[in-house]
Amino acid sequence: MKTIEQKGMYPKFPRSGKDTRVTHYCAGCGHGIVNKLVAECCAEMGLQDNTIFVDPVGCGVFTYYYWDAAHISAAHGRASAAATGVSRARPDAVTIAYQGDGDLGAIGFNNAFQAASRGEKFGCIFINNSLYGMTGGQMAPTTLEGETTTTTPFGRDPALTGHPLHVCEVFSQLQAPVYIARVSVADTKRILQCKQAIKRLFEIQRDHKGYALLEILAPCPTNFRMDPLKAAEFCKNEMEAEFPLGVFKDAEKGVGGSRSCATEGGADAQERVPPASASLVVKPVPQVASCAELFGVSDGVDAPPAEDDPAVPERRFKFAGYGGQGILSLGICVAEAARLEKRHTLWFPSYGPEQRGGSASCSVVVSGMPIGSPTVEHPDVLVCMNQPSYERFVGDVKKGGVVIVDATVPLTKQPPEGVKLYQVPAIQMAEDFGVPKAANTMMLAALRAFKATGLGDESLETALCASFKKKPQLVEKNRDLLRRAEDALLNN
Amino acid sequence: MEEKREGALPRPEIEEDSCKGCGRCVAACPRKCLSLQPHMNRMGIRPVGYAGEGCIGCAMCFYNCPEPYAIKVVKP
Repeated sequence: MKTIEQKGMYPKFPRSGKDTRVTHYCAGCGHGIVNKLVAECCAEMGLQDNTIFVDPVGCGVFTYYYWDAAHISAAHGRASAAATGVSRARPDAVTIAYQGDGDLGAIGFNNAFQAASRGEKFGCIFINNSLYGMTGGQMAPTTLEGETTTTTPFGRDPALTGHPLHVCEVFSQLQAPVYIARVSVADTKRILQCKQAIKRLFEIQRDHKGYALLEILAPCPTNFRMDPLKAAEFCKNEMEAEFPLGVFKDAEKGVGGSRSCATEGGADAQERVPPASASLVVKPVPQVASCAELFGVSDGVDAPPAEDDPAVPERRFKFAGYGGQGILSLGICVAEAARLEKRHTLWFPSYGPEQRGGSASCSVVVSGMPIGSPTVEHPDVLVCMNQPSYERFVGDVKKGGVVIVDATVPLTKQPPEGVKLYQVPAIQMAEDFGVPKAANTMMLAALRAFKATGLGDESLETALCASFKKKPQLVEKNRDLLRRAEDALLNN
Repeated sequence: MEEKREGALPRPEIEEDSCKGCGRCVAACPRKCLSLQPHMNRMGIRPVGYAGEGCIGCAMCFYNCPEPYAIKVVKP
């Protein structure tokens, strides 16, 4: 009997003070696939006890929770510098730096480049997902021309921000590196090729042959704003068109050579260098009225400043679920509605390093008087969209408070005495209405139907519509959904 | 030859609470015997499930999965 399962990782990951079996990566993340391959290769080659990983800053930061080997964390961009030190102090060990494109391509480029030029004896795994992932999808040097990121909202314009940086092509001009290749994890075939390349990287380090760089194209569904399958397609079609796969240099196998472009990928790459003059026309940058418009929040004109009113008691809300369910937006809606009513209000998000799939929550405080603290330990109103958040927060709800929980959540815990519990089939209703993403709008409908917010029906609706300012086609749809959901809830 | 017993066929084993429902395994399965389930796991995500037959033990699901423990393939 043979079982194909994960090797080389710890059986449990002590993240956030609790043991878990899941990584912090978003659904469909390329990092996750690469992490598995690296751990597997390290274990299959029997190198776990002799490997020191240098962990970066970026989405790959937590590899020390996952890979069962030795680790050292480096400052942002400094993994190659730290790996230089590690490999010199422990020449007998296998040293592997794991870096992202923000880390290696931007802030740490010179560290990595000089280490490669010196021919330091470590291997560098370089994840290229064409943007800064962990910080929210900003442009990286590797961002494609025309690619939309949070800092290039109109697409990357080479005249303003340059052309994508081809790390493998640049590094393969150096004399010292032994192995330089680019692979991808966009589909099965590429994943298996990636595994072979990672093995090669480990082999070179095991035999202490010298510097090796492996660039891996990885999809980032969250920041591409695509579902995982479309993100993989983007990685395969768009990214590979800019960054061709191939072995740029393998000194032992006679592939490529110093100061020459005659490599498998190199010849190709040369042809595709865009003519510099073509893109040197500065395109006019579309004018954005204000930051408020860009981020779709109230600009202070349609919502006047708060007015003190001692008669309005402070009300504290907690919204919780997993990232991607619209929990934070739901909180913003309630806070926005409070602003429209000239109340003092604060919105305070809390989430882990993952942008999708991890636990997310936000606190909202609404009051007639200025608010002391944005944190909410004992909410008057708790809205939960999944089981872990229900279990975590339900015991904290104040007497006389309200808990609204999605009907899919098993009630493993009872709320404290004197707390009203509503089970709302928000996820189911959203699916029945044909808009699965609108489960948060269903929860807003529940808050409105049960009069749980202390805010006017009209302001809640206006706030909901305001949150779709950037997507006007969704305004009426969500208004309609809100009303239909409310009717359905009141009739049951 | 003795007929292959039911339990002797390769099969994926799924740890539902570790699945993030990205669907990469569903797309990668050459026999199309994986699909996202109607029910939810602890996190409120619809996890992948095995149709019960069709698995050839190629482990494409395992390699496409970004999570270490969500899916493994048993080949008796």
